Amino acid sequence: MTERRIGRWVGATAIVLFAAPLAVLVVQAFAEVWRYPALLPQQLGLRGFRVAFGSGDAGRATVDSLEVAVTTTALATVIAWPAARALARSHGPRRTAVLMVLALPLLVPPFATGTGLAEWFIRLGLADTRLGLVLAHLTVVLPYVLLVLIPAFSPRVIELEEMARSLGTGPVRRLLLVTLPSTGAVVAAAALLGFLVSWSQYGSSLAVGGGLPMLPLTLLPFVGADPTVAAALSLLFLVPAILALALASRGTREAL
Amino acid sequence: MAVLDRRSARPASPVGRRPGARGSSDVVRLLPALLVTVVLFGGALVGAVKQSVEPPLGGAVSTWSLDSWRAMFSDPGFWDALRFSTQLALIASLASAGIALLAATWLRSRGRGLKTIFSVPVTVPHLLVAVVAVSWLAPGGIADRALGSLPIGIVHARSGLGIILVYVYKETPFLVLLLLAVMGRTLRRREEAAAVLGASPGQVLRWVVWPAVRRPLLIGTMIVAAFVFGAFEVPLLLGPNYPPTLATYAFQATQASALSGQGKAAASLLVAAGASVVIGFAIMRLARAGDD
Repeated sequence: MTERRIGRWVGATAIVLFAAPLAVLVVQAFAEVWRYPALLPQQLGLRGFRVAFGSGDAGRATVDSLEVAVTTTALATVIAWPAARALARSHGPRRTAVLMVLALPLLVPPFATGTGLAEWFIRLGLADTRLGLVLAHLTVVLPYVLLVLIPAFSPRVIELEEMARSLGTGPVRRLLLVTLPSTGAVVAAAALLGFLVSWSQYGSSLAVGGGLPMLPLTLLPFVGADPTVAAALSLLFLVPAILALALASRGTREAL
Repeated sequence: MAVLDRRSARPASPVGRRPGARGSSDVVRLLPALLVTVVLFGGALVGAVKQSVEPPLGGAVSTWSLDSWRAMFSDPGFWDALRFSTQLALIASLASAGIALLAATWLRSRGRGLKTIFSVPVTVPHLLVAVVAVSWLAPGGIADRALGSLPIGIVHARSGLGIILVYVYKETPFLVLLLLAVMGRTLRRREEAAAVLGASPGQVLRWVVWPAVRRPLLIGTMIVAAFVFGAFEVPLLLGPNYPPTLATYAFQATQASALSGQGKAAASLLVAAGASVVIGFAIMRLARAGDD
């Protein structure tokens, strides 16, 4: 009984600490007038969104960010898939070395990676282009997707594939009927993470694509200057994150 | 859509495989990822090195010099940035690890709902957390309005407390997820077995739980430390005017002088990159040594 009460109390605290701070964004985004020291806005309105989509050009930034994130995630998943398979069943020092090389971009600040890439992208005409942004994001996103994908190919999945193969199932049917259903949850999680990492890239986007503002680049200047517009842009920024989370958790449940 | 019943589908041994075929096909499988990493990431590092040793707007004269490096090393601002980044990385990663260990120990026997609530910040971008932190904790923010005034400075504080809070908020749940992944049923069974064999709770913790969580905890903490070390947009929003972090130092260098700043920026970013790589290798070795 007491244990239960403690659990409820901690749960409530967790909600307050983790989820509630985000709620302030909603209030702030619709706050037309919010003078200090009032706890609630004096007047509500849509100015934040008007400015965000007007001079902030949020609509274009959102579409660009979405395109780049989806393309990057798709590429990263396709490239990481075979690598994860190979790494899942290998052992020894060579595996560690390969893994370390592939994981390195994860540890290096994306602004550093982006600045180095910009050196070449400017010459190649890739700076401020969507392709340039996808390539820069791919460098950062690939290790995340790869590391999450590796556990997908457990010995049990490989055994199932072997069995399907010995029963005469072709490669495509094997992929659709055996591999994907048994790895779906992990693939969904990997893709979700990849999408979110690309979606929220700031440093690498600034370095290679400052002229083609992604949503994070559009958002930052407003934070100190106009909190209402910043909050409106933040809500926009949050939507795909929530959708992606919902999708991934559905994928997880179906796979279970 | 389970096509095969996993429990019954268990062949005695893998069949239909040519011996020796695996090694070469694994190389082919790894090739695309290695190619992307070597070309793009390797190219980025080479590009940064090139920028750091190249005279501004190079091309006409094909010389190189260490002027940017010299300028950086003789700038006290660089050393302050290095110290600040190190301090933030240490405090934020250790605090996250400690809280995560406690939280995971508590959460492992709780329901799914609670675990989901705790994992919410994992999906929220750093930038958003920083925006929320500004709304709540900046002077004139919600906390100020509710409490009159905050007893300590958080946003733009010289201590970097605002930056640390954002990273602890973001990275603790990430570490909790890593820990919960290894604290599942298998571990519980082993704990029970140890207890049945007469191990005290302390012994179970030391010899059963700790060896299982140590590796993910170390690797997770390593990632968090490297992250914070390269912090960029969070200190841009929440950091003090001075000192900068290494990444914001680089950014300021390019802003201060579009020409001569590039080399200095690239040099300091290479320091940040190098340090992150060293952190990675060090803890990876530590984690592996624990396995032997």
